[in-house]
This record gives sequence, structure tokens and C-alpha cells, in this order.
Amino acid sequence: MVGVSGGVGVSGGVGESGAAAVRGGAGERGGAVVIRPRFDPVARGFDEISDDDFQAAFEAPLQDTIQAMQRAVAAGVTRIVVVVPTTGMSGGDHYAHTAMAAEAVRVLVKSAARQWGALGVTVNAVAVDPAMVIDDPTLAGPVSLAPAALDRADPQAVIDFLASEASGDVTGQTIVVDGGLWM
Amino acid sequence: MDVTDSRLAGRVAVVTGAGQGVGEGIARRLAQAGATVVVAARRAETGQPVVEAILEAGGAATCIETDVTSRDSVRHCVAATREQFGRLDVMVHNAFTSNGRHRLEDCDLDRHWTPMSRTAVWGSLYCAQEAHQALRAARPHGRLILITSPSGVEGSANMPLYSPVKAAQRALAKSLAREWGPEGITVNCVAPVAGSPALVRTFETNPALRAAMEARTPLRRVGDITTDVGSVALFLASDDAAYVTGQTVVCDGGSFLGL
Repeated sequence: MVGVSGGVGVSGGVGESGAAAVRGGAGERGGAVVIRPRFDPVARGFDEISDDDFQAAFEAPLQDTIQAMQRAVAAGVTRIVVVVPTTGMSGGDHYAHTAMAAEAVRVLVKSAARQWGALGVTVNAVAVDPAMVIDDPTLAGPVSLAPAALDRADPQAVIDFLASEASGDVTGQTIVVDGGLWM
Repeated sequence: MDVTDSRLAGRVAVVTGAGQGVGEGIARRLAQAGATVVVAARRAETGQPVVEAILEAGGAATCIETDVTSRDSVRHCVAATREQFGRLDVMVHNAFTSNGRHRLEDCDLDRHWTPMSRTAVWGSLYCAQEAHQALRAARPHGRLILITSPSGVEGSANMPLYSPVKAAQRALAKSLAREWGPEGITVNCVAPVAGSPALVRTFETNPALRAAMEARTPLRRVGDITTDVGSVALFLASDDAAYVTGQTVVCDGGSFLGL
């Protein structure tokens, strides 16, 4: 089992925690990596997004995530967990750039799961409350018509489960851990 | 085709990637409904035959060479459209380039990711931003339509980097539906599977593929780029869809039922 750090990274490059755990003889695979792409937390009117803004807000997290996944598989990891905000699923007023990156990463997870299932690698996403990632979720607009069902949303236990051997039959999924806001 | 259909009479539409395939089908269908269509193709030699076909059928169209990976080129297309026709009501972004099947663990970003990202995602950025002012002026007829794919929802085992670019377009539609809704602009996606020329050529060399696709499709046929896909785009472009925004309409004969 590998350590998985708490929280959702929003600064710096793509966050990765965990490592390939080599068990027994050479070539044996195992272990988990949790990838936390850096999504742009700043609200921007769509017309104000420059090419440089978009490069940083879309291309950088996508390319970083692709490369982090590639490194994980090359290292023999068999559990990959990617953390995204639900903003990609709901869309976001003044957060189109963040939503596009988040949803692209979330669906990349599905593609990776489809290709790497035969290698024994599972790839899943944990979708968290936008408030954990973006600066102004109220500006982004309501995620759902109803309020959240719970007043708490700590994704760590779900991340731990998906990073564990116990989740071996789960792949390509998005588990939303936002207290029952997005349904 | 119903020649009495005049749902887009007096309106002007730009369709990117309209020199072939799904884009061509959409351009033809919008023109059949009375729109003046700008066939925005990267090369005039592919766009001009589509224009001539529309003109021969009694429609109105012109070709403007457009590279959707260039902001300047898209800006020129929009400006020339407004200068020539006085307005722009409907922007359809369909243009797309890929380098085919790949393995995610081996893929090269420059070769496999960048062409798709530049055409689908950056092209969407440029088409939306550069058309925004015109679409706002066209109120209540302003429409942005993005051509995505069922793979943008469910992922792809054959082209893993294709899915995220198509997913990004869906997220853009949802986001701009929120942001531009107060301006009366609707933003939607069409996710088609249809018999593009490339697919038809593949069928000729691999008839088993056609049989397999038909067998897995509840409607037991491969969609037509004009009558099937173009008609969905026409619906979204028309007043019939005035209260529809932020949505993805899957047009694939029922193959994908995951929405």
C-alpha cells in the first residue's frame, strides 16, 4: 500500500503521490499513484481568456496528466487515481477554461482505463466539490438545482479505497465525493 | 428533402471543416433550410465544390479559407462573413484533425495530442471568442454548435487522446450556456456517428466493419451526414431549439445510450 496525501492540489505542477511498489521478483507490478492536476482556480470571463491563459489553464494540466499517467504505468503502478472538480461535469460560468480541463482529464481517465485494463491497471477519478479547487464557486453557478445532501465532503477515504487492492474490479469510474451536490 | 423548410431563411451560418464529411452535411442541410452558408474549409479546393453543390440546389453559400488553429484566420473568417452578409447567426465548429490509433503509454504529445487539441479545443476557443460579438448582435438567433463525439463521454480504447478533446468541447458548451445565456445565445453539441467519406472508404476495403457497425446500432444503419446529422444541427440552429442550451445531442442510431 502506498501513502496518499490529503487535500486537492491547486498550485504548482501536477501533483503526484504514491509510488510503484515492487513486490517479490523482478517485473512484478503493484502500488498506486494519485494524480492531482493543477486546475486554474481563477475566474475569467470567456472573452478575456488569452492564448497564454488557455495554454496554462488547459494544455498544461492535460499534458501533465498524460505524462504522469505514462510515468505511472512505466513504473509498474496498477492503481491510478485522478482528482478533478465537478466543474467539468456541470460547466462553469467564468470557469470555461477550468471546466474544459477538468472534463478532459476525467474522460482521459476512461480512455486509460479501457486501454490499460488488460495490463491489470485500474484508472479512476474522484470528483470533488468545486469549492476545493476554484476560487469562486458561486460565480461558476449552481452545480445542481438542489442543495448538497450532506454538510461534509472529505474525499480522502474514497481516494484511499481506489488506490487500494480492494478496488481491483473498479475502473473507468468517477466517484463524486461532494456531499451529494452533483447527482 | 422538404423544400418548403425555411427555418433559417435570412440567417447566416459559418460551418468549419465543411469541405467534407459531417461538416459538409451540416452545411448542405442548413442551406436547404434557407441559411446563407459560409463553407469555412482549410483549402478552397475542398470547400468550393461544396459551395457549388449548394448553389446548384438553389441555396446560397460561399467559401472562406479558414484554419481553425489560427486565431487570425478565424477572426478573418468572421469579419469577412459579417462584411459580406451583414450578420452571423450560427457558428458551427466541426473541423478536426487526428493521427489515428495510438497507445496511451507510447503516444507522443506533439504527434498525437497537439493536432487534435489544436483543431478541436483551440479551434473551439477561437470560433467562440471571435464569433461572440456577432452572435450577441443576432439575438435571439445566436447559436454556437460544437461537433463532439460519444467518445467524449465514454472514452476510447482505440484513440485515448481523442476522448479528452471531445470532452473539453462538451464542458465548453455547458460553461458558455451559463455565461452567454443571459445574452440570448444558445450553445450546444452534436455527437454524431455518420458515414463520412473517410468511413465510407474504409467500408469499401473492409465490408465487415460496416456489417459490424450496423449490427451494433439499434437502427441498423450508419447515419447520413446530411439528412441525419445535418438535421440535428439544423434543429439546434433553428428557433425550434430556442430553449435548449448546454446540451449534447447524440446522433448515432442509438449506439451510445450513456447520457
